[in-house]
Amino acid sequence: MAKYFDVIIVGAGPAGSLAALKLARAGLNVCLVERGKHPGAKSMFGGLLHNTPVLNEMLPDFHERVPLERHVYKKVLAFMTPDSAVSLTFENEGFERPPYNGYTVFRPAFDRWLADEAVREGALLLTDCTAEDLIRKDGRIAGVTIKGREGKLRSNIVIAADGVLSFIAKKAGLRKEFKARDMGVGIKLLLGLPEETINERFHLARDEGADISFVGATGGIWGGSFLYTNRESISVGMVVHLGSLKTSGKAPYDVLDELLQHPQVRKLIKGAVPLEYSAHLIPEGGIKAMPRVYTDGMMVAGDAAGLCYTNGINLEGINLAMTSGVLAAETAIRALEIGDFSARTLSLYKKKLDESFIIKDMKTFKNAVGMMHSERLFQTYPQVLADIMDKIYRVDGVPRSKLLRLARKEVQKQVGLKNAITDGIKIGRALL
Amino acid sequence: MNIENLQQLTQFQIDEQPHIIVDKEICKTCDHRACVLSCPANCYTWDEATKLLSVVYETCLECGTCYVVCDKGALDWSYPRGGYGVCYRLT
Repeated sequence: MAKYFDVIIVGAGPAGSLAALKLARAGLNVCLVERGKHPGAKSMFGGLLHNTPVLNEMLPDFHERVPLERHVYKKVLAFMTPDSAVSLTFENEGFERPPYNGYTVFRPAFDRWLADEAVREGALLLTDCTAEDLIRKDGRIAGVTIKGREGKLRSNIVIAADGVLSFIAKKAGLRKEFKARDMGVGIKLLLGLPEETINERFHLARDEGADISFVGATGGIWGGSFLYTNRESISVGMVVHLGSLKTSGKAPYDVLDELLQHPQVRKLIKGAVPLEYSAHLIPEGGIKAMPRVYTDGMMVAGDAAGLCYTNGINLEGINLAMTSGVLAAETAIRALEIGDFSARTLSLYKKKLDESFIIKDMKTFKNAVGMMHSERLFQTYPQVLADIMDKIYRVDGVPRSKLLRLARKEVQKQVGLKNAITDGIKIGRALL
Repeated sequence: MNIENLQQLTQFQIDEQPHIIVDKEICKTCDHRACVLSCPANCYTWDEATKLLSVVYETCLECGTCYVVCDKGALDWSYPRGGYGVCYRLT
């Protein structure tokens, strides 16, 4: 085994493997280091592979070859109270054509497939290797030591794509301690159901899929829940803010259980067989929580670089990860051409990130992080909404009010006008 | 939903070498012990009688929640050696 590489990539997730593919195609000597038994063995996400232009460009026929579950056709946003749900459904024929807007996938299958693509193009994949420490030489990072299979791997450039808890970025001095306020934890239960049952229950045909986001079903903890349809299973889970979970006095699986017992959710999962339980952290601190993404001899991509954003409606990470992996690879190719691996040359990576949709979107929704740090958003407002709907639809012989008066009364009673205005400004700043 | 049943759904390659070591002395004086409730895999248990915090690293999902919520520096937490630990099949 060659122990000197042009580039070592730590982590065979979406960012790392697409970077490896790009580098291998450029004829470079690249090593992909993965701590799992196979790529994807440690990977977990909610379930949605967003449409990613760089993936379409690099592997135009990927949707024919990768193990995909369903393409997402139906988007539902549901506001939940303990006994009701107010939901908005968006079905769009434009989501029925390639390039599809998103697919549900299983990460052990998808990540493994993507890494194999890189291997087919000449990358060396080393599984069962946890990167333990960095090797430094001449003032720059020049490799990693591994444990599992023991050894030292040296390179001109290291790309840290080792996930949300990037100990590699931390050891390189690029980031400070991980903070609960900047993290969310996602937990998920995979439930088996026959394909026909899923199609009937969710009103889907063929390989159409549904993506349901729930707001208000997290027991007052800041966060949200989700349900995605796979071919013969559904993924139900939640993402909660770690700081909020820490002080909630609740266990995450108990909160998930409440969602599963919710009258509207119970009907959807009736008869389902639990298949797998998983958990993972998510970098949710937004652009302010991002580490530095390059130093002498090293770049950081994907979750490791905190490239993820949520605004309460969108939650994107995997598409940012893959795009950043390719941008890091492009930068590495340039650095190897000129034979300079200094921070000055690798700063091109940051420039590319800034010019891409990644940093632009994270900047656009930079205020959304603060907006979501609110109990009212996740408990009071869904209740207000449900109570308004109840008053609109209930027929009981009591004289009706006009809608605005009805809404104002509910808001005043449950939130207070002053709070509502403050929240309105916050939400406006974040999203409007 | 019983957390013990959930854990049985997930596959692990157990290493005899633990990847989480707790400093039990620090945990004795901790004012929140958030790890006990926050851990999605219920790996931590506090015994009020003996005043000891114990961890079952074998069913750890390696999410790192405990490591991030612990603000006392009581956890020596690292990823397991390559090839060991949680091994997702589907998810």
